[in-house]
Amino acid sequence: MPEILIETRNLIKRYGDKVAVDDVSFDVYQGEVFGFLGPNGAGKTTTIKVIVGLLQPTSGTVKVAGYDVQTQPMLAKASSGYVPDTPNLYAKLTGQELLRFVGDLYNMDRARVARRIDELLRMFDLTNAADDTVDSYSHGMQQKISLAAALMHDPKALILDEPTVGLDPKSARLIKDILRQLADRGAAVMLSTHILEIAERMCDRIGIINKGQLIAVGTMNELRTLDATGRTSLEDIFLSLTGGAEEAGIAEILK
Amino acid sequence: MNTMYRPVHAPDARVLPGVWKLLRLRLRISYNSFRHARIGRKIVMLVLWLMLFGFAFSLLVMSRVFLGWARSPEVIRYLGGDFKPFIDAIPVLTLTALFVGILLTSFGVLLQALYLSGDMDFLLATPVPIRAVFITKLFQAVLPNFGLTSLFGLPILFGLGLSGGYGFLYYPLVVIVMLALALSGAGLASLLVMLVVRVLPPRRAAEILGFIGALLAFSCNFGNAFGRDINPTGTQLAGLIMRANTPWLPLNWAGQGLVALGEGHWLVGLLLLGGTLALASLAFWFALVTAEQWFYSGWAGMQGVARRKTIRSKRISRTDAKNPISGLLYFIPTPVLGIVQKDFLTLRRDLRNLSQLISPVILGVIYTVSILRGGGEPPPGRGEAPGWFMDSFRVVLAYSSVGMSLFVGWMILSRLAGMGFSQEGKNYWMLKVSPVSAGHLLAAKFLVAYLPPLGLGLVFLTVISIVQKLSIFEFLYSLIAIIMCLAGCAGILLAFGALGANFTWSDPRRMNAGGLGCLGQFFTVLYVPISFGLFIVPIGLSGFLDVPILYGYLAGLLLGLGITVTCALVPLWLVQDKVERLNEE
Repeated sequence: MPEILIETRNLIKRYGDKVAVDDVSFDVYQGEVFGFLGPNGAGKTTTIKVIVGLLQPTSGTVKVAGYDVQTQPMLAKASSGYVPDTPNLYAKLTGQELLRFVGDLYNMDRARVARRIDELLRMFDLTNAADDTVDSYSHGMQQKISLAAALMHDPKALILDEPTVGLDPKSARLIKDILRQLADRGAAVMLSTHILEIAERMCDRIGIINKGQLIAVGTMNELRTLDATGRTSLEDIFLSLTGGAEEAGIAEILK
Repeated sequence: MNTMYRPVHAPDARVLPGVWKLLRLRLRISYNSFRHARIGRKIVMLVLWLMLFGFAFSLLVMSRVFLGWARSPEVIRYLGGDFKPFIDAIPVLTLTALFVGILLTSFGVLLQALYLSGDMDFLLATPVPIRAVFITKLFQAVLPNFGLTSLFGLPILFGLGLSGGYGFLYYPLVVIVMLALALSGAGLASLLVMLVVRVLPPRRAAEILGFIGALLAFSCNFGNAFGRDINPTGTQLAGLIMRANTPWLPLNWAGQGLVALGEGHWLVGLLLLGGTLALASLAFWFALVTAEQWFYSGWAGMQGVARRKTIRSKRISRTDAKNPISGLLYFIPTPVLGIVQKDFLTLRRDLRNLSQLISPVILGVIYTVSILRGGGEPPPGRGEAPGWFMDSFRVVLAYSSVGMSLFVGWMILSRLAGMGFSQEGKNYWMLKVSPVSAGHLLAAKFLVAYLPPLGLGLVFLTVISIVQKLSIFEFLYSLIAIIMCLAGCAGILLAFGALGANFTWSDPRRMNAGGLGCLGQFFTVLYVPISFGLFIVPIGLSGFLDVPILYGYLAGLLLGLGITVTCALVPLWLVQDKVERLNEE
């Protein structure tokens, strides 16, 4: 039985009267890529922020690599890596300095930091830009250095919020390949995305969140059984579950 | 598939309706921000507007009365001099100041409006003539500064007209000329902006501009105090103004034309004003066409995609045997060291940060120079004061100069400690998701805030000690006092800075958004003199109480250390839990 590396139980996050995340429970196992889907404003980013310790949940528990994010935050954070949807990075540091800084934050020894920087810069094709400040990077390069930073300490669980937004096909493919490799090496990868094709191709299991509630979790085959009309594409299943099927029908008429 | 498309209407290609449409949009944005503001803010804004109108009206009344008085034959007879040439030079001076002021101040606004606001692509993609977009941007750049200069300029010029009994035409022409000069100044500024952006990335240009602005503002503030020797006298100034009022400078034509027109010299007045308006229109049109061309062709934005800033940084390593401080680094945990190094790199590389730090350094240098010039010796008086008083006075005077380095340190700490957390801005998530404890984070921020003022304070202290001829003992005692007072100050400011941290800013000048940072400054304004006083007052008192001075030093050390250690540690200990949960909603 693979180890559970991300575990959420009855997670609730309220902003005043508004419930952003409503009683969400799911697990992400070692060696799997878990896709987290949902329409805009469904609660994907809020859930992810709670998992990585950026937001305090109103109630419920989150564990990363077996450590409770609320009661053992240092251990939980040391086991996870996070790539946000918008790569806000220290603009005045060079790519190399940024990675070294992250290595220091995770208390890595100097030799390992140097080795990882070298590996990651080569892997993401950023070696030539290593001494350029981050503010001179394109969006794609910033996204790549952000992922490199999340991988510096070789996390057990990697959580990514819309990792392929704004990337060219080559970079998107590179990131998909890297995430698959990470999972194959035993890490748990959780990613939120709007691109259903990515989720369908990459993810071993998919969770669909709508209006703060987790409405479906499972493999593609398991999700297909949920759709009474017998449709097979993830897009159809997604629209049928999240109530977007009517809009899809209107779009069909307009064609 | 339905292939029927609605025919596209030809868009209105006229410039003025386009300008009006875009100006309406700006007005709508301003109105919306006022409408959605809190009631308190609305009231403050209304009161501010009323005060501004009140100020303008009183300036109008004052200039009318004063200029009328200066023109009266009684005053001329009594003072034995004619002020008319000086009065006639007022419009020239006002309009020149307006033009130069707009030219300089529009630079920053236009840099923001054309390159940093992010709406140019949106506007240029809409079916609105490109010229309308540029004219609107120029208006946008001109209006706030024009409003500000009009607040001073219009009442003075109207007061001049009223005092001289100028004809009705004078008043609308004043407004028209001012607007024409302002627009031509903004037009030329837009070309300057594009020339700069050709060489530097817009953000870098904004940073440099902020830095220069801070330097200029500070120089202006302190220039008066320290430049007495070069300040001209009133007579020299009047002579200078009248000599500058020559008809050979086209910039003077507007002012001279207005005076001529007001005094009924129609032909001269109309010629000069016509010349001004023609030149201003020509400059505006030339700037507009050129700016459009440069922007649209991509000429004024090429470097933005071509140049990268490459830096090869040298990092202090714990194993660097040549570096004397590398040994000390063994005692600092790796995450703390990482944050300290990161903060120093980002502080040093962002000129916007340096512009906030430069003022205290300049102040310290100026003060040190003034001590060097003065010699720092106590005044001898008439020799009637008792010996103990003179001794105590000398000690207090010497340590007061030492207190200056503390003041410089406090100014730097206000920025570095007070905004230690806020300066992380939107990047704070990187610290938040990493396994760095609140204690380590506070320790790192403390070091970042404490070390620069400490270093600078020590330099000032050394210079002051040499100038004041302090003994080694006095120097060492001052050293302890400064080290400890600054530590306490850093503790208080950092704690308040953490409580009021703001991570949502995009302009560093708006980093300090909350009132808690100000509260920290308020407390340290009290803390600095009290803590430093506790170090030095017992020394002065020992003379008064006729006890050996050594007891004074011991008492000072005990009291001073007590308060400073408490202030350095207790506030940070109190906010540790808050730091743990910082930026979590």
